[in-house]
Amino acid sequence: MVLVLHCESILHIKEGSRMTRFLVKRLVGLIFIVLGVTFITFILGYFAPGDPIKESMGDHFNPVLWQNLRHAYGFDLPWYQQYLNYLVKLAHFDLGTSFHPQQRPVWDILKDGVPISVELSLWGTIVTLLMGVPIGIIAAIKANTWVDTLNMGVALVLYALPSFILAVFVQILVLWIDKTGIGWPVSGWGESWQYSWSDLQYKIVPILTYGAAGYAYYARLTRSTMLEVLRQDFVRTARAKGLPERTVVFRHALRNAIIPLITAIGLLLGLLVTGSFFIENIFSIPGIANITVAAVSQRNYPVIQATTIMVAIGVVFGNLLSDILYGVVDPRIKSE
Amino acid sequence: MDNNEKELIETPADVSQTATDTAPETTDSTPETVGTATQSHNDSHRAIDLAPAPEVLGQETLDGPALVEEDPLAEVATIPDELPPEAQKEERKKHPSPFRESMQQFRRDKRAMISLGFVIFLIVLALIGPPIYHHIGGTYPSDLQGKIGPDIYHSYDHQELTKVNQGPSAQYWLGTDALGEDMLARLMQGLLISLTVAFMVEVVDVGLGVSIGVLAGYYGGWVDLLLARFTDLIFAFPGLLFAILLTGIFGQSANDYFAKLPLVGGFLSNGNASLVIVSLALAFVSWPMMARYVRGLTLQIREQQFIEAAHTAGTPDLRIMFRHIVPNLFNIVIVTSTMSIAGTIIGEAGLSLLGLGVTHPGSSLGLMIADGMSLLELYPWDTIFPTLVLAGIVLSISFIGDGLRDAFDPRSVG
Repeated sequence: MVLVLHCESILHIKEGSRMTRFLVKRLVGLIFIVLGVTFITFILGYFAPGDPIKESMGDHFNPVLWQNLRHAYGFDLPWYQQYLNYLVKLAHFDLGTSFHPQQRPVWDILKDGVPISVELSLWGTIVTLLMGVPIGIIAAIKANTWVDTLNMGVALVLYALPSFILAVFVQILVLWIDKTGIGWPVSGWGESWQYSWSDLQYKIVPILTYGAAGYAYYARLTRSTMLEVLRQDFVRTARAKGLPERTVVFRHALRNAIIPLITAIGLLLGLLVTGSFFIENIFSIPGIANITVAAVSQRNYPVIQATTIMVAIGVVFGNLLSDILYGVVDPRIKSE
Repeated sequence: MDNNEKELIETPADVSQTATDTAPETTDSTPETVGTATQSHNDSHRAIDLAPAPEVLGQETLDGPALVEEDPLAEVATIPDELPPEAQKEERKKHPSPFRESMQQFRRDKRAMISLGFVIFLIVLALIGPPIYHHIGGTYPSDLQGKIGPDIYHSYDHQELTKVNQGPSAQYWLGTDALGEDMLARLMQGLLISLTVAFMVEVVDVGLGVSIGVLAGYYGGWVDLLLARFTDLIFAFPGLLFAILLTGIFGQSANDYFAKLPLVGGFLSNGNASLVIVSLALAFVSWPMMARYVRGLTLQIREQQFIEAAHTAGTPDLRIMFRHIVPNLFNIVIVTSTMSIAGTIIGEAGLSLLGLGVTHPGSSLGLMIADGMSLLELYPWDTIFPTLVLAGIVLSISFIGDGLRDAFDPRSVG
C-alpha cells in the first residue's frame, strides 16, 4: 500500500492530474476487489460444514472448554461482527489463528513457505520474460521461416498444456539423469535465497519448468504484437530512410510493441500463481501451496483462507503495478 | 488470409440477415414492417431497389423454421436483391451462407479435424469402452476372492493385491497400478469423469454466461456494473485458487452428503462426490469470461438497425433478446466454450492431482498421475499413461478451439 501511494505521488508530479485520476480510479476498484476477495473467503469459512473445534478435541470433548475456545476464536459472534474482526485483523497483518495445532497463528505455519514461493514466482517470472520476449521478437523478425514455425509450434503446445504435465515429464527426465550417475536432486528446494551449486541444482529445474508456461504465452504475444507494429507505416518510413534493421526493430518497433506486453504481466501473474501449486506439488517444494494442500486434509480453514487472500491480493497489486507501468510507458493514457 | 478477409467483410452481413430471417415470425407484423426492417439494415444504396423484397423475404422465411439452432443463416444467403429468383438460386450455390463457409473452412483445417477425430474416439472409448472391456477375458483364480470374471477384475475399483504394479499383459492390457487396479479401466473411468465435468461445467457456463452477458449488454445499467465488478473480482482471484478454496472447505463433507442422495448417489459414492463441488467451483470461475464476451457482442448487435426495427414493431425486450440477439451469438459462444472446455478438464485433473477432487476408489486422470508420482522411479508407466491421455485430450480440444476460432471468429487475434 505504501509503495503504491509512493508511486502515485511521484507520478502525480510527473504526469499531472489525469494520471492521478486514473490511478485513484484503479485504487478504488482495487479496494472493492480486496473487500470482495476477503468477503468471499470469509463467508466460505463461515459456512464451512462441521465444527472444527469439536473435531479437534476428539474424544476429549469438554463443553466448557468448547465454549471457551469458541469465544477465543470469536465464533459466538454474529457473522458481520466476525467479518469486521477478520478485516481488522487482516489490516494488522494478522492472518488469524490456526485450528491445527490449536491457537497457533496462521502466519507461523505459513512463514517458512512464503519466501520459497515468492522466490519461485519471482525467478519464474524473470525466466518467462527473458525467454519469452526475445524469442517472440526473433520469431516475428523471421516470420514464416523454420525458426518461427519451430518456436511457435513449441509455444503452442506449451501454452495449451497445463504446467503439471510438463512438470511430470521433466521429473521423469530428472530421474533418468539421476540414474545415469551424474547425481541430481529429484525434489525439494534447498535453502531459500541461497545460490550455492547444490541449492541451484534444486532450483534450476522447477524454475525452468515454471517459466515454460509463461514463456509460451509471452512468446506468442510478443510475436503477434511485433508483427503488427512491423507492418505500420512508421516502420516502413524508418526503413526507407535507411536506418539499420537493428535500430528499426529495437528503437522503433519494440518500443511500441512493449505496451501490450506490460499489461499482459497482470494476466500472466494469475497464470503463474495457479501453475505454482502444481510445480510445488510435483517437485515437492515446501512452499505455501504444499502447506495449503496439507491444511485442506486437516480441515484447517484459516490456513486455506490466508493463502487465498495473500495470493489474490498479490495478484491484484501486480495488476495495479502493471497499470502504473502502462501509464508511464504509454503517454496516451493521460489523454483518455 | 484471403479467407479471413472475406469473412471479415461478410460478418456484419450475417447479423443483419438473421433479422430478415426472424422478423416475419417474431413480430406479428405486416409485410410493410418487414420491409422497413430489411431496408434499414441493408446498405442505403441498396434500399432503393428493395421494392419487391418484402414478399420474397416473407415467403422464404415463413416456410422454413424461423430459428434453426445449427444454421440460422442458411435460409437467406448473400443474394443481391436485384436478381430474378432463378439467378438467386445459382448465386446461393456460388456464395454459401457465412455459417456454411465457416464450416467448410473448419473442415479444411487438418489439425482441427484430426483432433476432432481423436476427441470423438476418446468419448466413445469412455462411454462404451468399459462395458466391452468387462466381457473380455476368462475367469481368473484370485488368491483372495476365489474365481472372478473379467467384469470384476476389469472394473476400475477392483484391487487385485497379488498383482501390483504389473506391466501390460493379456489380462491387464495396460498393466496395474500400485493397488493392483487395472490401468486401462481406470483410464477409461478417468476420461468419463473428465468429460462429465467438462459437460456439466459447460452447461452452466453457457447458460449463465449467455443470459447474464445478454442482459448486461442489452440493458446496461446496474446489471452491467455488477457484471463488470464481478468479473474483475474473478480475474483477481486466480480461478483455480478459488476452486481449491471451495473444494478444500466443502469437498469432504460433500462426500458424506451427496453419497446419500437417492438417484445420483450410486454414481457419486465412489469418491466422486467432491466432483459436484469441483464442477460448481470451475463453473463459477468460468462463466464471467463467457459473459464478458457475450456482453461485448451484444453491445454491438444492440446498435444494429434491425434491433431498432424490432423495437419499432413493438417486439418485447425478452423476445428481441432470445430471437434476435442470442442466435447471433452462436459463433462466439461455440468458440469460447470449446476453449473453456480445455480449461475445465485441466482444472478437474489439477484438483484431483492435488487430492482435492476425485478420491479413491474413484478414478480421474489427475488422481492417476498423483498415484503414479510416488512410484515414478520404479514404475514410470503408471504416470506416463494418464499424463499422455490428458495431454492428448487437452491439446486436441485446444486445436479444435483454434480451428473454430479461425473459421468462425476471424477478427479475434489469438
